[in-house]
Amino acid sequence: MKHPDQWTDSATQRRQDWYFRLGAIGIGLVILALWELLPATGLVNPIILPPFSKVAVALYTLMQQPFFPGHLAVTFNEIMIGFVIGTLLGLGIGISLAVWPSAKRLTYPFVVGFQAIPKIVFAPLFIAWFGFGQTSKIVMAVVIAFFPVLINTMVGLESVPSDARKLMRSLKATPLQIFWKVSFLHALPIIFAGIQAAFTFAVIGAIVGEFVGSQEGLGYLLNLYNFQLRIDRAFAVIVILASIGAAGFFILEWLDRKFIFWREDRSH
Amino acid sequence: MPNPKLQLVEAPFAGASDQSVIQTRSISKIFSLPEGPVTALKDVNISVDKGDFVSFVGPSGCGKSTLLNIIAGLLPPTSGTAELYGDAITAPSRRMGFMFQTAVLLPWRTVEANVLLPAEVYGLDPKSVRDKAHSVIEAVGLKDFIKAYPKQLSGGMQQRVALARVLTYEPEILLMDEPFGALDEFTREAMNLELMRITQKAGITCIFVTHNITEAVFLSDKVVVMTPRPGKVSGVLDVPLPRPREIDTMKDPAFADLIFDVRSLLGRHI
Repeated sequence: MKHPDQWTDSATQRRQDWYFRLGAIGIGLVILALWELLPATGLVNPIILPPFSKVAVALYTLMQQPFFPGHLAVTFNEIMIGFVIGTLLGLGIGISLAVWPSAKRLTYPFVVGFQAIPKIVFAPLFIAWFGFGQTSKIVMAVVIAFFPVLINTMVGLESVPSDARKLMRSLKATPLQIFWKVSFLHALPIIFAGIQAAFTFAVIGAIVGEFVGSQEGLGYLLNLYNFQLRIDRAFAVIVILASIGAAGFFILEWLDRKFIFWREDRSH
Repeated sequence: MPNPKLQLVEAPFAGASDQSVIQTRSISKIFSLPEGPVTALKDVNISVDKGDFVSFVGPSGCGKSTLLNIIAGLLPPTSGTAELYGDAITAPSRRMGFMFQTAVLLPWRTVEANVLLPAEVYGLDPKSVRDKAHSVIEAVGLKDFIKAYPKQLSGGMQQRVALARVLTYEPEILLMDEPFGALDEFTREAMNLELMRITQKAGITCIFVTHNITEAVFLSDKVVVMTPRPGKVSGVLDVPLPRPREIDTMKDPAFADLIFDVRSLLGRHI
């Protein structure tokens, strides 16, 4: 239940929702119009920024190419495997550190230190270690993706209200019961926010890995088209990557709304 | 300030009756903090009789919550023992139910599922407890909210769920740490009346921690007055007001006298 200060009548609320939706669509249209008109009028060199219509055509023709599905599948695999392994790793390590305080105290300096390193610097190293194939990209995706899950798992588990734990203790609950019935579910909204970030990070990891050294994948294609100055196709690849990132984000957002219905920081 | 009604601290329960359910024997609790040791409780001897409603009242830092936690088996004393029917309390017991200042409901569980949480922890079949749970939820006035989630309930209603969660398991002793302290005055008054009605009817022994003198006197058979630095019992007051008590009880001149007696036991601490 909202505080009375936040009450608005539903008609006003709906009208406002519509204004904002129309406003967002408006801004989108303005951006597309500028993207189309600036190169067309010669204000921006079309080689640097091809107009939107050319990118749309390039996107369409690229998707018709026989080699395209293969590259898409490679990158998609890297992202998904990296995301899943990274999430599981982050969850596993985060839970262990949160429920085992001495492990946390021992390893926390290293966790913080490792977090401070821009993980991208490892990309050439991973190529040397794991070769030009998918493995090096998956490892890169895992290394980048697991951190937000790790940190959010630890923060989430540590933010469990002490009264809730005390309630469980007064019922003589076992540590395992306290974890599964209270702590984990309490931390879940925060953990899930980390998982959402992990997906975006997995996309970055896979693409960076492909940039540094690969013979297949969307990152490889993007690099190739850049070198060939086929900027319209490069933009088409970017649109595809953006779509993968956005699709993953919205699917996770939908899952979040469906399963974490008790989340407090959500108004509707 | 001679007052025949006041018992002195020294050996307040030297002749504790056979009826005593809870007894503490010279309990002390010292917390070691970075700035040095703090004596939260010093040599506390109290006794609670079966079916009695006993309040611990005192200002912040008098150790009333610490004492309650020790009795609940949630905190070990530094020295001395707390006893339940003569046996030392070393861990929480199912014979005692605990209520907090906030309802401590799990937001992903409905009212019913929250009330059934202890059953799961105790390893009982929730189905076997469900009927009992429903009748208790009905008794606290939440019949229409069995399937509601906590965030759909007001603070008072949430605390009623907490009450139902504890009463469903028929504790012999109910330990309450300022259970209605977070509620507004009107809701608190209504909850107090309801609490008295239910616990009297079921014959539950109650220990109630509060810093509200009026509330303590209104509810209790016995008021344990505590003072801080170090936390100790400065006196125990019997409240012979007749039961059942209603709001009218507060008009009784004896009620005002009792409140004044508690104040004088608190002495310079208020």
